[in-house]
Amino acid sequence: MSDHSIVPYGMSRRHFLGHLATGAMALPAAQFVGALEANAQQLRKQNKSCILLWMSGGPSHMDTWDLKPDSERNGGPFKPIRTSADGVMISEHLPNVAKQMHHLSIIRSLNSKEGNHDRGTYMMHTGYAPNPTVVHPSWGSICSFELGERLENFDLPHCISINTPGMGAGFLGMQHSPFMVQNPNAPIANLRPPQGVDDYRMRRRTQMLSLVENNFTAQGRGQATKDHSAVYAKTLRMMNSRYTSAFKLDTEKPSVRDAYGRGSFGSGCLMARKLVEQGVTFVEVALGGWDTHNDAFNTLSSRLLPELDKAMGALVADLASRGLLDNTLVVWMGEFGRTPRINQNGGRDHWPNSWSVVMGGAGVKGGTTFGATDKDGVDIVDQPVGVMDVIGTMTKAMGIDVETQYTTPRGRPMKVVDGGKPIAQLFA
Amino acid sequence: MSSTRFGRSWSQGVALGLLFGILGPGFVHAGDDDATSASPPRNSSASRKLPEIDRLLREAWKKAELQPSPPAGDDEFLRRAYLDTLGRIPTLAETQAFFAGRDADKRAKLIDYLLEHPDYAKNQATLWRVALIGRQNQERRVEPKMLIDWLRKQFAANRPWNELAYDLITAEGSNKENGAVNYTMAHLENGAVNLTAYTTRIFLGRQIQCTQCHDHPSNDWKQADFWGINAFFKGVRRREVRKEDSTNGNDYDHTEVFDEPTDAFSEYERRDARMGIMFPTFLDGRKVGQGRDVERRKALARFITEPTNTAFAEAFVNRTWGHYFGRGIVNPIDDFGDHNEPSVPEVLDLLAKEFKESGFDVRLLTRRIMNSEAYQLTSRATKSNEKDESLFTHMTLKPMSPEQLFESLLVATSAHESGTGDRDNIEQRRDAWFRQFQTAFANDEGEETTSFQGTIPQALMMMNGPLMAEAVGGRPGSFLAELLERARLQRGAPVDAYVVQNLYLAALSRPPSKKEMTNARAFLAGNPDTIQVMEDLFWALLNSNEFILNR
Repeated sequence: MSDHSIVPYGMSRRHFLGHLATGAMALPAAQFVGALEANAQQLRKQNKSCILLWMSGGPSHMDTWDLKPDSERNGGPFKPIRTSADGVMISEHLPNVAKQMHHLSIIRSLNSKEGNHDRGTYMMHTGYAPNPTVVHPSWGSICSFELGERLENFDLPHCISINTPGMGAGFLGMQHSPFMVQNPNAPIANLRPPQGVDDYRMRRRTQMLSLVENNFTAQGRGQATKDHSAVYAKTLRMMNSRYTSAFKLDTEKPSVRDAYGRGSFGSGCLMARKLVEQGVTFVEVALGGWDTHNDAFNTLSSRLLPELDKAMGALVADLASRGLLDNTLVVWMGEFGRTPRINQNGGRDHWPNSWSVVMGGAGVKGGTTFGATDKDGVDIVDQPVGVMDVIGTMTKAMGIDVETQYTTPRGRPMKVVDGGKPIAQLFA
Repeated sequence: MSSTRFGRSWSQGVALGLLFGILGPGFVHAGDDDATSASPPRNSSASRKLPEIDRLLREAWKKAELQPSPPAGDDEFLRRAYLDTLGRIPTLAETQAFFAGRDADKRAKLIDYLLEHPDYAKNQATLWRVALIGRQNQERRVEPKMLIDWLRKQFAANRPWNELAYDLITAEGSNKENGAVNYTMAHLENGAVNLTAYTTRIFLGRQIQCTQCHDHPSNDWKQADFWGINAFFKGVRRREVRKEDSTNGNDYDHTEVFDEPTDAFSEYERRDARMGIMFPTFLDGRKVGQGRDVERRKALARFITEPTNTAFAEAFVNRTWGHYFGRGIVNPIDDFGDHNEPSVPEVLDLLAKEFKESGFDVRLLTRRIMNSEAYQLTSRATKSNEKDESLFTHMTLKPMSPEQLFESLLVATSAHESGTGDRDNIEQRRDAWFRQFQTAFANDEGEETTSFQGTIPQALMMMNGPLMAEAVGGRPGSFLAELLERARLQRGAPVDAYVVQNLYLAALSRPPSKKEMTNARAFLAGNPDTIQVMEDLFWALLNSNEFILNR
């Protein structure tokens, strides 16, 4: 981009960049767009993204990806169906996903060890068990830190969570914590100035702000002054960006909206597609309600599985047809699985010992399964994997060095992939 | 177009010197690019013996070949003292009164005043609620408001810290009648593992929780130490109590915490996969009887709070120091141990000794810290000390907590003066504010930090959110409308200068620099809609790093 387009009011470009980018927001949005568009287009090609479909509550492998129709005790009422991948069978309530299974692989042999919601959620997001001495950065934040930071002048947050707060960035810093979209069917809260504050006034406001801000920063009182400016600059950049259109679904064709489903999960998945298309590194979309201790099969067949099926099927098909799947990793998981045994209330309870995770895209092979449980879905009988193996696989798919290591604020080393390794068979 | 307006402003000659001459002693002004007022009123050390803290710190600086930064100006000190002690910025009136004061001891007097202010106890209660149960404790039935009320009463009465700690550790009964019970309740799940970790961390400054699973890697704490403390909580129980006139099972009234006589031990899995067991054992190895007649929590509380236990006094001193300096003498504030040496052990020893000798007098300790030379240094680093992070050669910027930010916005906009009728409304808005913040605050346990933790949603909230819109709104009866009215009625200064002066004082607790005054007046002069420009300027001040970072 040419220098003059971002130099406000006689400041040199260096001055502007070195001190505070809020000055930039005094410019009409239009002046940014041309340059940034080219930028984002180019980077999109180089950069990998991840969409994490988060099944909060803990989904059962027995009713989704690893059915045991022959198990008298544990099988449950659902039947397996054929998929687009030879020999891979999944639940009859996932017919749309079944058509996309040649893009996806199922890991059927995960033992994640944590059967408590909070601990399991932490573990599946970070790879680590909770530990009071350090808050581990979530894996999504690590992607943001490792890959998002390479996108200079990027308008949108690198790490976005839809329908869920997501998991924080720990010591990697707040700029890598997820930006939360509470409701994908509603406008982003506070994205626009309040009524009565037009562009002219907003420009005046930011102009006045940069004077105070720069004055304080210049006084040598420490890094926090600059960190504040950086967050405001990023926020203003986002407010002024036309890429925030990725947060708006009403420009999509009704047929597309219907294909994804118009609930918060379907809309969230569509938004996720739009966001990775604009170069966002990590998007998590949550579908809640999987903690089905009671009356599981009704809930699953009438609500959860159809909602998941529509959105996930549409998302994978859409990513593939747009050529985005080559660089977009799609992962499906929850905080743990559910007991193979069906309890007296017609539900299944918490079960981290043997369950399934699904992934595809970004170089992860499609159409295969890895590992297996026994005929009742209880014990892992083939190629058991741990959470760090799953994290390792995801890390490799994203093109992040699996040996990456950080030093925590207390001076201890923390590996991104600790004690696990990528599952080689899932890469072509 | 804006640039021409802006450019014109530079040439507008305003006799600012004259202006501040007219405005009189209530207005302070110094420096060009920064309005830090000069003339700190500290007495020269010649006439008085140097306080021991100051002497010890000066020795530490000398040894490290560091020069301390100069003393903070009145504006810096004032804002800092209010935020740290009352949890909010000073009001416009409080700021003006302090600046106008000519008393040589006015800082010491302000400190005394703040420690007796009702907001002091309120602020302490807020801080300790966050430390004890976190901001968003999800544990069922915990009543944060009852805990806060209880804490406020204790701090208002300046109850000795050992008594307060004893009450928290041993609290029993209804969580609606005895607010302290909520601390225990919040951490009881999972075999009181969290209660064990919190109790040692908060009252002893020891992070033994990692020894839950293994011996400490870098000092000699053993897994058994954790489970020895845990065993003191073996008999703690809770039960939900229904309303007296309850006719069905859903009429919950309160939760009761009580101790069941027990002779149980804690069991744990050792690294060699064998099971370990521990009966109640304090960190120094002392045990209590194993019989059912032993009141275990009381025994633990006595071990922790007895005057011979230096760790107890040190932990509190260090936490308080950490709050006022943004960093503990041992840092992180609750991670004492051989692996983490204090940066100025002499100061910690001195204050802990004094604290103990004073009968754990919290106000006295706080007064000592606030009157120290180091606390009253500027946060501007110098060439000599900009690398120093641990010897307190300059003040560290402390980002406002969500609580401080909310209260300070109320103060800056005079919303706190809007009458008692609005109290409920303020409570509601406070709740809504914190809910929005919560989703973005990763740091739930409120470890105070010196890095800026803001996120995009928070910045959006600050820039465009309804609370800010209301705060800077210039509708009739608002702070801005009334300020403009006052400006027009007074005769001491031009209207626009008066307005700018007061907006800076209200938001940043300092007058504008000459340059800032000129700029702001140019904006006002170029626009017929004074209120709108005032709104925009106030918005800029409240959104600035200078507002949210406690200098």
